[in-house]
Amino acid sequence: MLRLQLKKDLTQFELELDVSCRYAVTAIYGPSGAGKTSLLNMVAGLLPPDSGEIALDDQILFSSARGINLAPEKRRIGYVFQDDLLFPHLDVETNLRYGHDLLPAAQRRFAPDQIVDLLQLSPLLKRSIRHLSGGERQRIALGRALLSSPQLLLMDEPLASLDQGLKSRIIPYLRHIRREFDIPILYVSHSVAEILELTGQVIVLEKGQVLAHGDFFKIASQPGVLPLIEEHGFENVLPVEIIASDPSAGFSRARCGEQEIKIPFSTQPIGSQLFIGLRADDIILSRKEPEGLSIRNALRGKITEIIDVGGTHLVYVDVGRRLASKITREAVEELELTVGSEVFCLIKTHSLRLGPQMT
Amino acid sequence: MPAEVWDIVLLSLRVAISCVLVSLLPGVVLGWLLARYNFPFKTLVDALLHLPLVLPPVVTGYLLLLLFGRRGFFGPALDTFGISLAFDWKGAVLASAVVGFPLLLRAVRLSIENVDPRLETAARSLGATRLRAFLTITLRLALPGLLAGALLTFARSLGEFGATIVFAGNIQGQTRTLPAAIYTYLNQPGGEDAALGLVLVSASISLLALVGSEFLSRRLRS
Repeated sequence: MLRLQLKKDLTQFELELDVSCRYAVTAIYGPSGAGKTSLLNMVAGLLPPDSGEIALDDQILFSSARGINLAPEKRRIGYVFQDDLLFPHLDVETNLRYGHDLLPAAQRRFAPDQIVDLLQLSPLLKRSIRHLSGGERQRIALGRALLSSPQLLLMDEPLASLDQGLKSRIIPYLRHIRREFDIPILYVSHSVAEILELTGQVIVLEKGQVLAHGDFFKIASQPGVLPLIEEHGFENVLPVEIIASDPSAGFSRARCGEQEIKIPFSTQPIGSQLFIGLRADDIILSRKEPEGLSIRNALRGKITEIIDVGGTHLVYVDVGRRLASKITREAVEELELTVGSEVFCLIKTHSLRLGPQMT
Repeated sequence: MPAEVWDIVLLSLRVAISCVLVSLLPGVVLGWLLARYNFPFKTLVDALLHLPLVLPPVVTGYLLLLLFGRRGFFGPALDTFGISLAFDWKGAVLASAVVGFPLLLRAVRLSIENVDPRLETAARSLGATRLRAFLTITLRLALPGLLAGALLTFARSLGEFGATIVFAGNIQGQTRTLPAAIYTYLNQPGGEDAALGLVLVSASISLLALVGSEFLSRRLRS
């Protein structure tokens, strides 16, 4: 468990937090300049807090009261930076082994071959790092950090510099690491979609303060958190339970409250509960139960709120859970939508994104 | 080559190599400090270190004499340790090191400034101590620049005349380096041939050093 209780004056604002991270992956979410990177730097020992305490399990990394401030190299914390920071004068293999070779053999948890296989780096080993793609570089940075056998892994928007296609290729590696290795991860991101692929545990940071901390699905509806998420492309998050899976048809059936929804095929066993993510743009509202449409999902619900957000409207529908749909003002007027109207939320199966399993 | 010429060349090489060797550590430390840190009077320190670059070498030599000469400011102190610099080959090393030092310092500073300091941060997060991170990352990446600076200092030392002749003199077999020897021969009737020979030797050494450093620097960069 990572305990963070610290204060730091960051000139624009004061960073102050008091949280414990118990889960395999804890995401730190917040807009740019919220103090996310400063927080990671303090955990890594690169930036001293003004006061407080940082403890990883029973090891104290920093304590102003006891005058402890472990040097970064003594903390055994792996750090994957936003811009990989690979060593330009070393080839891929020497980069990977930099931390590994510094560690006494007894403290090494992984063999280089194991990590090379996991991250599929073997064709690159002898290459200079100058001519690698962004995705390759991030995989090497990840492998390099893992090979230093860290007790905690910090990741600072490791996918931010990659395009969408590359992102979706790296995420499976991260999930693999979460599954295979017992290394807690602190994952900074300002993309809800990315976070939900890895974890449901989120610390929401704004201007150095913890706005909310806990299960994403529970905190997403808290005041203050929602607007932050909406700024970055709203994502609805629904908890569902898998009731049937058909790999040949490419989808699974899941229960969402009292209703049923078809989701992309999931390898999770029947009965598993997981989160699914859904953009507000991807929900179509209809007054009538649709017929003759290719859309597989129609969730019945009642409108609870309509908010004008400059031209477009956010319509909140209670389908057992609250869903937000983004539609134009004309559509609201034409369909005569008002609070209390009964509507159907039409959702394409493949606009649903499978999130992490509930823990 | 007559034995006398050979002695002159060896002495010059010894002085120039010693000059580079004694400059390296202070050059790296000061270059790193100037590149990475801000401290009070930094501009003044920087200016003082670069002063020999713009002072007439004769002035530098005279200042050295005032400071380190036998009757200079530090003279008695040096004397108690049995060290005598003025009019000794070690004095020639000091004179050319002071004159050549800004060249090394500048090269080191610029090449360290070109290394992303966060690379060192990354190395430390991987378990490297400060010193190891500096040596294996920053200094290693700055090495081509350091090498270029060392070569400039070497060449400057080989060509150093003014400060050396004032501070160390022109004593045959002790402080008569290539430029001093060329000057001496030119003042002797019939010495032109010997002077021309030394000029050729001097030019060859400099050319060789340039080519060698270019070669090394290319290997380091690839």
